[in-house]
Amino acid sequence: MSTLTRRQFLGLTARVTGAVLISTACSSGPAAPAAEAPSRRPPPAPSENQAYLAVARGDDAAAITARAITALGGIERFVRAGDDVIIKPNICVDYHPPEYAATTHPAVVAALASLCLGAGARRVRVMDMPFGGTPETAYAVSGIGDAVRAAGGTMEVMSPIRFARTAIPAGRDITAWEVYQDVLQADVLINVPIAKHHSLARLSLAAKNLLGVIQRPNQMHRNLGQRIADLASLMRPTLTVVDATRILVDHGPTGGSLNDVRQTDTVIASHDMVAADAYAATLFGLRGEEIAYVKASADMGLGTLDLSAIRIEEVHA
Amino acid sequence: MRRPNPWPRWRRVRQAVQIVAFILFVYLLFAALQRRIAFPLADLFFRFDPLSALGAMVSSREWLPRLAPALITVGVTLALGRIWCGWICPFGTLLEWLSVPRANRRARELSPHWREVKYLILAAALIGALFGSMALLVLDPLALLTRTMTTVLLPGLNHALTALFSVLYPVPPFQGVIGGLEGLLRGPVLPVQQPVFAGNALIALIFVTIVGLNALAGRFWCRYLCPLGALLALISRVSLLRPIIGDACTRCGRCSNVCGVGAIQTGDNFRIVPAECTVCLDCLAACQEAGIGFRPALGRPRGWPAPPEAYDPTRRRLLAALGAGVAGVVVMRTGAGARRPDPALIRPPGAQDEAEFLSRCLRCSQCMKVCPTSGLQPTFLEGGVEAFWTPRLVPRLGYCNYGCHACGQVCPSGAIPPLDLATKRQAVLGVAVIDRNRCLPWAHGTPCIVCEEMCPVSPKAIRLEEVAVIDARGEAAVVQQPHMVSDRCIGCGICEYQCPVEGDAAIEVRRSGS
Repeated sequence: MSTLTRRQFLGLTARVTGAVLISTACSSGPAAPAAEAPSRRPPPAPSENQAYLAVARGDDAAAITARAITALGGIERFVRAGDDVIIKPNICVDYHPPEYAATTHPAVVAALASLCLGAGARRVRVMDMPFGGTPETAYAVSGIGDAVRAAGGTMEVMSPIRFARTAIPAGRDITAWEVYQDVLQADVLINVPIAKHHSLARLSLAAKNLLGVIQRPNQMHRNLGQRIADLASLMRPTLTVVDATRILVDHGPTGGSLNDVRQTDTVIASHDMVAADAYAATLFGLRGEEIAYVKASADMGLGTLDLSAIRIEEVHA
Repeated sequence: MRRPNPWPRWRRVRQAVQIVAFILFVYLLFAALQRRIAFPLADLFFRFDPLSALGAMVSSREWLPRLAPALITVGVTLALGRIWCGWICPFGTLLEWLSVPRANRRARELSPHWREVKYLILAAALIGALFGSMALLVLDPLALLTRTMTTVLLPGLNHALTALFSVLYPVPPFQGVIGGLEGLLRGPVLPVQQPVFAGNALIALIFVTIVGLNALAGRFWCRYLCPLGALLALISRVSLLRPIIGDACTRCGRCSNVCGVGAIQTGDNFRIVPAECTVCLDCLAACQEAGIGFRPALGRPRGWPAPPEAYDPTRRRLLAALGAGVAGVVVMRTGAGARRPDPALIRPPGAQDEAEFLSRCLRCSQCMKVCPTSGLQPTFLEGGVEAFWTPRLVPRLGYCNYGCHACGQVCPSGAIPPLDLATKRQAVLGVAVIDRNRCLPWAHGTPCIVCEEMCPVSPKAIRLEEVAVIDARGEAAVVQQPHMVSDRCIGCGICEYQCPVEGDAAIEVRRSGS
């Protein structure tokens, strides 16, 4: 066995140190120009016998999730064999178990993961960047970690090296932002927010949920409505499933009191994020156009606010 | 016929124990950080540290059962000498691994009186503890190493690897490998959020200096400076079993040459000094004549208790050290910081009684190591000299997470009480104050409710009021302005941490008084 001489050791150390120093210097240099986002398959429009928007009601969260997807024409409308799927629930804090309605219901997320794997998805990753607590503790406390792993999916800790400044070509206020690249590269992005109160946005729904995959989310607040819509134009989720099995009507987005939770036993699903948000708003007695980012998203042509013009299928399970 | 020397094998056992202990120490650091182990395991090493135990119990005048295992260390030392130093102490092990060739020869030129410094430090530390001050416990070797690992080595490792990965990851041929490797490390080893620590450069400098002193003498710190080593040295003067040079000795001097801590006196009075010996067994392994034996020292004419050494502190110097310790406490207690701590000196949850906290805190940095947001930072002079390197919450760097109570669970001395999560959520650390001259809605008419959004208590401690204002463009607008509901605020500081205003936040946690 050859041993390392002191000289060799020092040389090796110097080289490794040099590499680290150079890379450190590079990484703190001026911001690179924003990269173009890869284009994802657009959210598939419904065929004649498929609902534009599905609303499933019942007390079994997993069952109504599956039922809503069936009404849209089945998961195969969205997921093809071999697809790389990312599911983005709302796991904003590690404070409370799911009944407090601050985080998406684990059964809804797990049901979607199962469906995707059943449709032959290559892998299903679930992730969020909590603002309170670490990803691992938040995944655990929300119950989503265990539920997803049991369904065969993976929980991903979002790494700082996978964010990149990305151009937002359609953006009206922001034209580039630091975005988690895997979310843009995935074949299928399923956005699974929980419907809840938010003081500035009024409601935190699907488009608002996308703030969990960017850096510096707090800088969005200066012009929150338009900036969320700009971001949504970049993300274009393949499928939106709003968890309204229970909703948080006050003191959101963190919650903390069961007095603010209403049991609504509903799951809303659509390829159209704007329509899904517009419908979810009605559960709070609001209309889509009263939510600035939903209105801005519709103005940008990302979807429709007009619930009377689309085919809504209401089902029970 | 001579039996083969069994000591080289025992020496290897010692080296193996050192490696295991060191790896365990580092593992506990990572495991506690990532909550992979039960919290009470995190402070395992400190529980066996007699200096921490004695200091904290004398200073707080309380029996602290969690630190009781230190008695085992005392017992082992009474039986076998400074096994702790030679076999267990991860800082000693590290300094042994970082030894410099020829340092032992150079050490002979150093005055042996350097050895008394450690006793003087110990005396000052313990007299300080008697007056309720733990300030000199910052020199405990486990605390030194934990502090350095927590605030310098781990953050540095994370930054360096993240920077390296960020450069390589976008390059297509590396993407798969780096992505996979990084995915394995991120979480279990590397935190998602880069930790940063106040005053880390000073901590690094002290560590580098201690390592650098190894060039003057092998394990310079252990020989001359370490107060824990001094305490164990005192005990080992009456230890029962120790290596003793016997009649077969030919005075070849091999043992003295290999001794890593210079514990073997050459010349007319050829012997092993029990107080300095760390029982590393190197001399026994090196001896060609089986001239050194590991024997009971009882009843031997010069063996027990160990006779005083020429460099032992004189009564006068000892009194001077004790006097300096007392004077130090008096000066620290009459500094302005002692009466009017910095308004931003926010203590960890449940540790709001400053005097009680200071009398118990080991300065061990375990809480900083385990804090998931790295909001717990080493205090500089914000609480006066006495509070140096105790933990404080700096919300702008990291908030006290509403879902976490880790610091109190790992605190070896109970300076941060082990509150359950529900109780910790009600512990008030301070109170947030809004700076209306800088707050976006207040000062500029710009919409922002981030502080309210983040506030974890229910109902929230920040209330919004909708008001008509003139905005930054001079136009009429309606914004929501935040108001504190102070009675609900727990001072967790997530509002301050997340406030989007550049530099200092427009909402800051301040000491609330009790």
